[in-house]
Amino acid sequence: MADKEATVYIVDLGSSMADCHNGRIESDMSWSMQYVWDRISTTVAANRKTWNIGVVGLKTDETDNPLAEEDGYNNISVLRELGPMGMAGLRSLQEKIQPSSTDVGDCLSAIVIAMEMIQTFTKKLKYNRRIFLVTNGESPLGEDEEAVTEIAARIKELGIELTVLGVDFDDSEFGFKEEDKTEQKTANEVSLKKLTDACDGQFGTIAEAIAELSVPRLKPVKPYKSYEGPLTLGDPQQGAMIIEVERYFKTHKATIPPASNVVLQQNHATQAGDGGAMEGVQSTGGDFAAVSNVRTYKVNDPREPLGKLEVKLEDLAKGYEYGRTAVHISDTEHNITKIETTKGFAIIGFIPQDNFEPFVNMGDSCMIVPQKFNDEAAIKLSSFIHSLHELESYAIARLVMKDGKEPLLLILAPHIDLEFECLYDVPLPFAEDVRSYKFPPLDKVFTVSGKVLNEHRQLPSHDLLETMSEYVDAMDISTYEMDDDGAAYPPILVKYAKPDEALEQAAKTRLDDLIETAEVKKVPPKATGRRQRDKVVPRSGLDIDALLKQPEHKRAKIDSNNAIPEFRQILNTSDSEDAVKDAAKQMGQIIRDLISDSMGDLNYERVMEDLGVLREGMVDFEFAALFNAFLLDLKKKILSGELGGDRRELWWMLKGKGLGLIDNLTVESSNVTPEEAAEFYKK
Amino acid sequence: MSYHHSQDGQEPEEDEIDEDIYKSQKDALLFAIDVSKTMMKAPPASDDKKADTDSGLTAALKCAYQVMQQRIISNPKDMMGILLFNTEKSKSNDEEEDRGNWNYPHCYVYVPLDVPAAEDVKRLKSLVEDGEDSEEVLIPSKEPANIKDVLFCANQILATKAPNFGSRRVFIITDSDNPHMDDKKMNEAAAVRAKDLYDLGVFITLFPIGQKDSTFDLSKFWNDIIFKDPMAELTDPETVLESKSGNDGLTLLKSLIKNIDSKKTPKRAYFSSMPFEIGPGLTISVKGYNLFQRQAPARSCYVWLDGEKAQIAVGETARTEKDSTRDVEKGELKKAYKFGGEYVYFSPEEQAEVKKFGEKTIKIIGFKDRSLLKFWMAIKKSIFIYPSEEGYVGSTRVFSALWQKLLKSKKVGIAWHIARKNANPQLVAIIPSRSQSDEKSGTPYLPAGLWLYPIPFADDLRVGPELKAVRTTNELTDKMNKITGQLQMPRGLFEPHRYPNPALQWHYKILQALALEEEVPEKPDDATMPKNKAISRRAGGYLQEWADVANEALAQHQQEKAVKRELDGEDVEEPQPKKRARTTAAGKKNDEDGGPATTDAGLKKLVNSGDISKMKVTELKEVLAVRSLDTKGRKADLIERLEQWVEENI
Repeated sequence: MADKEATVYIVDLGSSMADCHNGRIESDMSWSMQYVWDRISTTVAANRKTWNIGVVGLKTDETDNPLAEEDGYNNISVLRELGPMGMAGLRSLQEKIQPSSTDVGDCLSAIVIAMEMIQTFTKKLKYNRRIFLVTNGESPLGEDEEAVTEIAARIKELGIELTVLGVDFDDSEFGFKEEDKTEQKTANEVSLKKLTDACDGQFGTIAEAIAELSVPRLKPVKPYKSYEGPLTLGDPQQGAMIIEVERYFKTHKATIPPASNVVLQQNHATQAGDGGAMEGVQSTGGDFAAVSNVRTYKVNDPREPLGKLEVKLEDLAKGYEYGRTAVHISDTEHNITKIETTKGFAIIGFIPQDNFEPFVNMGDSCMIVPQKFNDEAAIKLSSFIHSLHELESYAIARLVMKDGKEPLLLILAPHIDLEFECLYDVPLPFAEDVRSYKFPPLDKVFTVSGKVLNEHRQLPSHDLLETMSEYVDAMDISTYEMDDDGAAYPPILVKYAKPDEALEQAAKTRLDDLIETAEVKKVPPKATGRRQRDKVVPRSGLDIDALLKQPEHKRAKIDSNNAIPEFRQILNTSDSEDAVKDAAKQMGQIIRDLISDSMGDLNYERVMEDLGVLREGMVDFEFAALFNAFLLDLKKKILSGELGGDRRELWWMLKGKGLGLIDNLTVESSNVTPEEAAEFYKK
Repeated sequence: MSYHHSQDGQEPEEDEIDEDIYKSQKDALLFAIDVSKTMMKAPPASDDKKADTDSGLTAALKCAYQVMQQRIISNPKDMMGILLFNTEKSKSNDEEEDRGNWNYPHCYVYVPLDVPAAEDVKRLKSLVEDGEDSEEVLIPSKEPANIKDVLFCANQILATKAPNFGSRRVFIITDSDNPHMDDKKMNEAAAVRAKDLYDLGVFITLFPIGQKDSTFDLSKFWNDIIFKDPMAELTDPETVLESKSGNDGLTLLKSLIKNIDSKKTPKRAYFSSMPFEIGPGLTISVKGYNLFQRQAPARSCYVWLDGEKAQIAVGETARTEKDSTRDVEKGELKKAYKFGGEYVYFSPEEQAEVKKFGEKTIKIIGFKDRSLLKFWMAIKKSIFIYPSEEGYVGSTRVFSALWQKLLKSKKVGIAWHIARKNANPQLVAIIPSRSQSDEKSGTPYLPAGLWLYPIPFADDLRVGPELKAVRTTNELTDKMNKITGQLQMPRGLFEPHRYPNPALQWHYKILQALALEEEVPEKPDDATMPKNKAISRRAGGYLQEWADVANEALAQHQQEKAVKRELDGEDVEEPQPKKRARTTAAGKKNDEDGGPATTDAGLKKLVNSGDISKMKVTELKEVLAVRSLDTKGRKADLIERLEQWVEENI
């Protein structure tokens, strides 16, 4: 992992590499470079200073290498000395990888040069040393057999791993054989194979290496020990069980690298988008600058013009919020709210395995093994593991990883296989972590009067239960491998995105039966939302809409103190479009008044709510034009300061919450396109 | 700033998803408590320790006090208020804001609706615990309050103090099932005001308090006031049972707490209208809920002490270009990935393309025996799903059929899940939870339904150390079995409600004491501590026997090992690795005189053997410092520097 690496890639740039072979429409060079580029850019992406890359060009027009003086080292150029590689290095290398106009160059000599480079660079230090040779093997090798043996011995001596990847080399394991191969190539393949065999290297055809690229590589992570110490049962002072253990991650969510915020650097701002040679990626070196965050702090102060006073961080004390009260904690007491704990791992009790449900788990799993080289701990832990296994129990434990760390509750499960035993653990919830939402039962229906129904349209019929059962059994994938460890391994990332086709076909008739019995109907999109205008009545069924029409409850005008209910009631009960339009106008005025009367941002949330309700109503009634006209006018008034001063903050809020024009995707009759609706937000 | 909402750097996935995006995801809860004579009537005196001591009113206030304390911890951004009615005195929201034209006789705003402050807690506490009623508010009015006024008062409080909140609720606690004695006009006026609240988006829950010999009859009045919660399921009658002394053997207080607890958290969906594809061509709609949410103490904040009152300083982030410190406008920000030390820019479209795995979905790819889901295949908490008819009519019965089948055949579904557009896909196992009434349920505190249980991808697996098992003996396991058998948890269940989070509780206990200027408690209650006394009482002897047998087994094992070594012709004299032998810090076992690699020879040995990489960073820095070398950089850099030094100097 953190090991240092020195890798030299020898790439064949001979003129014949520019040709296409065996039905490919890609030149041999760009085809085989796929593999090299993938390896190099993976190294670049890792951005490690201790991973060094060197590149040697074979069959180059020029000769540029440390052994150039000697015989047989012609037409080989060091394109890049060993060293860590960044984007700049990658770009300059890209320019150098071009087919030459010669086919002369000895790949064994190139290997010798690569060996020299590695030896000079790594000296005797601890390195992973590697040479990759990519060639079409079409040029004569200048060395005899004795030299091959010598080179192999030297490679072994230096501890270098040699990999030879040939364009269309025969590989019976991979299942490739090139017909009408040149004699030269056949001979070279034999020699190179001999070399790799003699130095325990790898020999293969490039097609295999490229095929392997489609399998995602897993990034190995070193074992992380989260706890090391005793696992106890009972009071350690009085003859308790004490077992020295270590705890490691078993699973841990691998993070997806996040994108960072950057800005175009001002002095480079005009060059964006040119010069980037990498396919599909627009980039030029150094155009972007990182963004740093500067925090400023403000407090309320009515004496300030905007009601806020900026304060310096040095003048602030540490504290916590208790409700809306600020509780100040002095520096000397900064740990006062932290519970004092001592490192430890103690069993609380046991439960039968059947009484644990996996979905109670709160996070990733860990494994608990005996302390290394401690037979006593190993035997004791083993007896604990076997006991859990035999009694089909799990243990509940309290873990404090280090002194002062907060206690955790874990559930421990036994794991035994041929060579290996351990406990697995997952974290459990505390009382506060569980939300007690109530849901009606799924197998019966209670009526309002408390009666229990076992047959109801919400409950499955006997037939439905039957067809579901048959379908589930038909779609069984218990025998499908989940790969070695049982976890999902993604050879193609979306392999599990849909059911297996063969299985799906086999279960087709079951599914058809199920679909027929289930009689599920899609709710047409029109009926979602409040448009359906179902009459809402209280539990008693009293018709309140009718009450509202009686003279003593009738409301002539919308009361600004009760605007939302009254507006909604007009929309729900009125029969005339005019009444709805009139109500909308009244709401508009109420909204404008709220803005004008607002002290600072005091009324803004009410404005948002009223506006949201108004918009909703106008969408339901498909009065897009009316609402859009109102909103355009409101925007103008807000931005011009007509509504009691600077209201720009309100405008930002409206924008943030998506309270914009009604477009013709939402209401067909609207004459505003989604693009125009988006344009509306731009100032 | 609070843990309730997602913390910086946490995945945005944790945010609740709601359709009404213009609303803020906050909850306002207003208690409306009846202060009538009957509510104030104390229960008859009794010698029984378990007998009731609380009147209806005290029980209601105690509940409100408890809920307030809990909400400060669990919902620190949410509001709460207390409105008393049928009081002799009247007081509306804020006296200074009272414009006089709204009048709510016999309604008294005791705690104005807001995020609770320490003073609110203190005032309520002294009222509840010490009966200190300095405002003389707990005096019943001669004339009862008009319920229409109570409801409109609640309407005004919620509309102005909690505008645009995603959830607004009124909890009415009363023992009167017919407040207006069948007066039709007054009942109708109240019903109209109740509809106003409904249309405002406020949901009323009634907590009836039962009187001794009569049952609370909802049909007399309250059924005109209470509407169905639009968030509730179709089949949910959602009646709150009456709280009554003696119900299930509980006191009135406990009975009321139980009823309120079940309603105190507003039910928020984590996702809704989620298509659940059971097979190609068969899709139903479900809603998802976060029934588990890890709560941790809120992070510290900055307090400004120079004003009249301590105040929290609100932080704002300004962005600047890193090197030039030029201010950056929001619109200038672009997203880029770091690659080879440089930024590679991705346009918003390219960004979206990178994350594109399709529309939101739960798509079943097959079913497996439940036993194939291994204990360790855990990666993060599960989401509860429950059917909803909003997208597909018939969803509930199909869901129920699937749920019943999975339970019956002990199977789980395996599904491909995308929580929302552009979210990262996740493989989930679909696991049924049993009915709460099911005696076999290991989780009687959780509702019946299905759970989306995320299972790890290959990238999420870690390797542990390589070890060869040293096996127990049958005798030793038998001894351990006796212990395991003795120490079963109560009812054989793990019940989270028995274990409050000690760190969280302590944090807020101390904060509360500081905020209320009370004495700081000395020792935390920690229910997670093992009950060692009980353990040694029940299994002390067995523990001793186990330890003895373990020693025998160990001795035997070591003997076998020695014999084996002899047979293998190895050096029998080789000392056993010491019990606490540390092989990691290579330097330590080197020499006594001054520790790690102080001598050049020692250092050279470490470098050549490669053991130098086993040294800790602090140790490496020490070694570097001794030789006046630069101590900055990562571990690999430090090692390299030392290696180079050895190369050049020794």
